[in-house]
Amino acid sequence: MQPLLSLRAISKRFGALQALTDVDLDVTAGEVHAVLGENGAGKSTLMKVIYGLVAPDRGTLTIDGRPLRLRSALDARRAGIGMVHQEFALVDALSVAENLGLALREPGERLWHPARIRAAARRLAAEVGLDLGELDAPVGTLPVGTRQRIEIVKALAGRTRLLILDEPTAVLPPEEVGQLFAVLDRLRRQGTAILFITHKLHEVMALADRITVLRRGRVVARVACCDTDGATLAGLMVGPLATPAEPRPAPPATTSVALAIDGLSVDCHGSARALDDVSLQLRAGELLGIAGVDGNGQTELFEVLTGLRPPTRGRVSVDGQVLSRFEPAAMCAAGIACIPPDRLRQGVVGAMSVADNAVLDVRLLRRDGSWLMRPAAQRAVAQELIDTYAIKAADLDAPVRALSGGNMQRLIVARALATEPRVIVAANPARGLDVAAAEAVYAALAAILARGAAALLLSTDLDEILARADRVAVFYRGRLSQPLERPFPVERLGALMAGSEAA
Amino acid sequence: MTAPLVVTRLGAARYAAPLVALLTALAVSACLILLAGGDPFAALQALLSGAFGSPDAWSEVGVRTCPLLLTGLAVAIAFRAGVWNIGAEGQLLVGAVMVAWLGTRATTLPAWLLLPAVLCAAAVGGAAWAGIAGVLRTARGVDEVISTIMLNFIAIGLVGWLVHGPLMEAAATYPQSDAVVAAARLPRLFSGYRVHAGALLALAAAAGTALLLFRTVLGFEMRAVGLNPIATRLAGLRTTGALLRALALSGALAGLAGGIEVSAITYRLYGNFSPGYGFTAIAVALLGRLHPFGVVLAALFFAVLDVGSLSMQRAAGVSSVLVSAIQAIVIFTLLALDRWQRLEAAR
Repeated sequence: MQPLLSLRAISKRFGALQALTDVDLDVTAGEVHAVLGENGAGKSTLMKVIYGLVAPDRGTLTIDGRPLRLRSALDARRAGIGMVHQEFALVDALSVAENLGLALREPGERLWHPARIRAAARRLAAEVGLDLGELDAPVGTLPVGTRQRIEIVKALAGRTRLLILDEPTAVLPPEEVGQLFAVLDRLRRQGTAILFITHKLHEVMALADRITVLRRGRVVARVACCDTDGATLAGLMVGPLATPAEPRPAPPATTSVALAIDGLSVDCHGSARALDDVSLQLRAGELLGIAGVDGNGQTELFEVLTGLRPPTRGRVSVDGQVLSRFEPAAMCAAGIACIPPDRLRQGVVGAMSVADNAVLDVRLLRRDGSWLMRPAAQRAVAQELIDTYAIKAADLDAPVRALSGGNMQRLIVARALATEPRVIVAANPARGLDVAAAEAVYAALAAILARGAAALLLSTDLDEILARADRVAVFYRGRLSQPLERPFPVERLGALMAGSEAA
Repeated sequence: MTAPLVVTRLGAARYAAPLVALLTALAVSACLILLAGGDPFAALQALLSGAFGSPDAWSEVGVRTCPLLLTGLAVAIAFRAGVWNIGAEGQLLVGAVMVAWLGTRATTLPAWLLLPAVLCAAAVGGAAWAGIAGVLRTARGVDEVISTIMLNFIAIGLVGWLVHGPLMEAAATYPQSDAVVAAARLPRLFSGYRVHAGALLALAAAAGTALLLFRTVLGFEMRAVGLNPIATRLAGLRTTGALLRALALSGALAGLAGGIEVSAITYRLYGNFSPGYGFTAIAVALLGRLHPFGVVLAALFFAVLDVGSLSMQRAAGVSSVLVSAIQAIVIFTLLALDRWQRLEAAR
């Protein structure tokens, strides 16, 4: 059977980032084709290429065997491709019919015919077989699932034969996901091809016919849904599982508990719990890795432990002291330091100098209790960090954003460790770093662990966790598994990440 | 080796932009004058001689600079900390009310005590007025842009009510307060000229603001919060505290501006007491690049335009309203240059 849409050797580069490399993809009529990958794997870029929003550097697209050149989304629409974005393009104050009318009106049509628009909207909804509810209701009053169906109808208008959905379930409460799947199933039976982007494995298993797995911009697998299982897919997404490296000498089991988390939950409005009854104990000198596919609770745990988000329930204690205030300043005072996942946004003040960023935690400046900002003292602190951690920063007064990612991260780590914290919460600390910088970060962590601190490593890179952690626990849908000890059972980790084994 | 006082160094372009904006505004204004059938060079000459042509003109520039400088500093310090205080006008009015009230009521105090007392009260009043917006923001998440604008209107209404009621002059003829007693008045610097000691206070405030921002931990925290609140918070700073402090300081400076106007120039409080100093202050602060010394120059520039515009109207027949257009064009050009530079940097 000839594929409806074929992509051959699509490559796209954004500056230093190779977003897509030689991607081939075939979509046939009447199938749901899932594109699976971690955040940043290139899924969204690929969809934008197909919808004409991004021009590939190399490669060809064909539709029905004919070459397809897309200069804009309008070209894609003419070729029969429709897309539902994560952000809906609806006017909340207008009715359902008016929103459809806006999207469906003919080019050059100047007059607004309410009756004609309503008739067209009703006809279209019936054709597609979707329940849009009351056509005169303002869109803003409708549940998000209905709004998404309006977007689907808009995307299907005309002669759309390929429908692209960009993480459609991300915005839906769980009870609406089933309805969406029923809709997509009916469209499939009507012969529409559906491209479905997600990083949620259970959705793929529930709906898709075929699966293309992307990792770092490359296709790493093309499988039929019936030939695979969640654990295999999780492994494909995160990459080949290297043999765990030589472990650090394990901390003696008798050491005290540095960080204890007890029954921690974070409720999210209208959807599943982001953290569901999470408990763990972190011993002094230990590095505990938290693995899992991105979006299963890592962000929320980081936010709670750094004080950015108060938990709905649960207790956190450091060295036996229960924390009462969830506020970054209180967390720092209690001895929890963090290495945030987004360096430029959360780690440094980009416009300020290297010397200023070195003392962003002003406790480093105010060791002598002074309220004055003495340049000499400030530079001494900065220079000490730079020397200790071998940071390459020629000019202390240059803006910190001029540093390379590796040196910026070393500075962040240096600052976090300079206050001698009891617990370090590190979120993807080696992301985007070269080997030397990553080693430097972990050497710094190892040094402070040897002095009796404890570290929590949140990473979506399983290799990194297997290489560095003393124990590993796995997040799946807000629940944290029991920590596993070395040597790590890789298959079990995969199963836990896919949610196919109960924690 | 000392670190430069100016910590955010984005190259010379950052400081060239106000000059480019100034020249653009002058060029566009010249075209406007030509279109209106006037002579741009005569107009410029009249404007400059109106502002610098006589000792009295110099004095008036000083008088005009004082409130613009203080409110400009107020806005600059708030914007630096990422707090969008649009309420300098209201805070200025509350400061003026404090001086008019104490200066007509607490008359038994000796002069050496009364003058500092009324000026401190003006600063405290302004700080408290700004503090309302600060508390609304930190306790209830109310956007300070909205609340400070609203507080402006409330302050205007408050002044209107006071001069018709509790603070109305004893003669009860005009809607204005009595004149403050001599002991509550700031001394003039030269006899026969209106320029007063408040201008020196304003300059001292600029120096003080610079020291605060660039030489104290408090100021460092404010600047860091303004540039990246998330990173600063994660590094352990209580950002709500920095925000409240910045707003209170900002309000205090604006309140002082209003207090000094009453104490040194008008002696009385009345309805349209301020020609919108607190709003012009936003333009002054932006033109001054949110740097205290830049704000001094910007305040001086706006004062020169204001003072010179009347003689421009008299001598060259060009409407003094044109000066407002010049001010607006300067700001627009500056914003356009900012945007352009940011796009260049992002490329």
